[in-house]
Amino acid sequence: MRQPLSLSARRSRTGYLFCLPGLAFLALFLAYPLLYNVWTSVHDVDLGQLLGGAERFNGLDNYRAVAGDPAFWHSVRLSLVFTLASLVLQFTIGFALALLFARPFPLGGLLRSLLLVAWLLPPVVSGTLFRWMLDGESGAYNALFQAVGLSALSHDWLTDPSTSMAGVVFANVWVGVPFNMLLLLVGLHTIDPELHEAAAIDGANAWQRFRHLTLPLMRPVSVTVLLLGLLYTFKVFDLVFVMTGGGPVDATRVLSLYVYEVFFTFFRFGQGAAAGLLLLVVPLLAGAWYVRRLRHEEEAPAGGAR
Amino acid sequence: MSYPVDRRGFLRVSGAAAATAALGLTSCTSDTSGPVTLSWWDYFTLDNFQPGMNRLIKDIEAGVPDVRIERRSFPFAELERQITLGAISGDLPDLAIVDNVSMNTLGGSRLLADLTARVEKWGQADEYYQGPWSGCQVGGKTLGIPNNSNCLALYCNTRMLKSAGVEPPTTWDELASAAQKLTSGDRYGLALSAIRTEEGVFQFLPFLWQAGGDLDTFRTYGPTALAFLDELIAKGSLSEQCVGWTQQDVNTRFLNQRAAMQINGPWQIPTLKKAAFDWNVVALPRDKEAATCLGGENWVAMASGKHVDKVWEVLEYTQRPSVLVPYLVSFGELPARKDLADRGSWASDPALRLFLSQLPLARPRQYGAHYAEASQAVADAEQAVLTGSASPSAAAGTAAGKIDKALGEQ
Repeated sequence: MRQPLSLSARRSRTGYLFCLPGLAFLALFLAYPLLYNVWTSVHDVDLGQLLGGAERFNGLDNYRAVAGDPAFWHSVRLSLVFTLASLVLQFTIGFALALLFARPFPLGGLLRSLLLVAWLLPPVVSGTLFRWMLDGESGAYNALFQAVGLSALSHDWLTDPSTSMAGVVFANVWVGVPFNMLLLLVGLHTIDPELHEAAAIDGANAWQRFRHLTLPLMRPVSVTVLLLGLLYTFKVFDLVFVMTGGGPVDATRVLSLYVYEVFFTFFRFGQGAAAGLLLLVVPLLAGAWYVRRLRHEEEAPAGGAR
Repeated sequence: MSYPVDRRGFLRVSGAAAATAALGLTSCTSDTSGPVTLSWWDYFTLDNFQPGMNRLIKDIEAGVPDVRIERRSFPFAELERQITLGAISGDLPDLAIVDNVSMNTLGGSRLLADLTARVEKWGQADEYYQGPWSGCQVGGKTLGIPNNSNCLALYCNTRMLKSAGVEPPTTWDELASAAQKLTSGDRYGLALSAIRTEEGVFQFLPFLWQAGGDLDTFRTYGPTALAFLDELIAKGSLSEQCVGWTQQDVNTRFLNQRAAMQINGPWQIPTLKKAAFDWNVVALPRDKEAATCLGGENWVAMASGKHVDKVWEVLEYTQRPSVLVPYLVSFGELPARKDLADRGSWASDPALRLFLSQLPLARPRQYGAHYAEASQAVADAEQAVLTGSASPSAAAGTAAGKIDKALGEQ
């Protein structure tokens, strides 16, 4: 015990010391709220109990109440639909644009930076914009349809329960495309042009080169982009809140809006915490899967083209 | 995880503080020396409210001995949430001006100081209109004092009604036929708000009450009210877009002359006075009963505050006619007190006068701590019917189940 510490032990001790501020930050702003949330989720907490200090431990009652609420499952379905539709469209359009911007053309740089504006705008602003553009009476899209003689296509996008989800997804795709495009573009630049040249010399046409070179080599980047997209999209709140507030009826009440409602409209903190933790499940699973996959890739550094 | 323990300790302390404050009647707190600073929360953030509010506070600081006011204002939708969060963090004001519908949530939460004994000694309860006053009574206790009141009525575009040969409607049947006659081109006969928030419910409840029902009989009377509105949409007299309109949007429609009639409150009068056309206001059309919904704000004192007696002095002071009348006039609001009916701008302005005459019919939304859930169910039912995704009886049935559950759970 009294032995002087070896150099490596001293080093690792200094290392831990350097980690301390970061760890303290994480503990204070991540672990504490999360654990507090877990604590709340197993107690019967509503507004009346907050002051009296009489939160009763009620085990899994809150989880049971949430799981027994059809509105919860409805919002889970909506979240999945919203996420899936947004991801597929964002990724496809983003990929197409990345391919376009991968080759230099006049004003390409300017256009690319302009596209980024969509992603830089605060969601509240883009939500308000789309709310106005999709408005049934004075919206820009309906005016456009009328101007080109397609007034049959004009529609009350956001106030019709059957199209409001499409309207919200549309806005979210617009917001997400530049982000997808940018990351995929970076990925495209990492592909060695010589590979394409060699393939072209071997007689591969453009489609074959895309299918057998670009796509496989882009797989790691694509997974990252899709995963980040999943995390961003699944927890969407502001955009939907501004555009429809979850309505009409409950047509766009995605999971985060449901949690918000239970928390801040009904003031059922226990149930809200339980639902909030359930909201974490999907991103958490996706994240765990991604980390595992990353580790596999590091172990077998063969890259994408397997 | 030592935090929850700390937190419980904190709660125990604040619980004790609340209990002391509730018993504050017997303890004497007013003999402290030096001025007392009271923190005050409200949601009057708009510029046009500031001069009146600042004058009121200056008045209070001059008129009530040893008091300083520290005011914070929040956006309308944030105040109730902020108070709830304050209950968790322990950061609550001494007094607040809250929306009257907040009495449901806050009243059931032991957050508000009991003013019953003070009010009894004061003896001015009978001066208030019954709706606003009863809205401050929760579980047999007086938890607030009405600050100002408003309600809904029907605004009519005078010229449009005249050229269509229509009299301002007084019954549902007349409303339906007038709205239909007034609809032409891109102009709707009627505009109202059916948005999925409390605002939409505020506008819907009068229809339910006029049909002879209430929340506890939603299954029976809900379909009547819902079907009436559905019919207006089916005939094109009311835009289906109203499921997304706030009352502000409704007023904009009316101002742009894209709606010949609108249901709205007296707070729109200052804007409408600048309109380039003539308009007038009539009572909401009746069916089995005449009814309108009560809006407005109440004063509340927080039970956690240390100066409830001082707060009461302030509240009492604000209710003196010499203070209240100029304040209400500057805000363009109506008094909740009958004894002020013949003073101030509302005595001469015909539109304000009409709203004032409706206050005795105005019902508070007084349904207990879980009203928010009942309200949400009503909003969902209305939206489902107006967007054509459910029949009035089916939607009312679904809503009634949720409403009964929310109201039964006290």
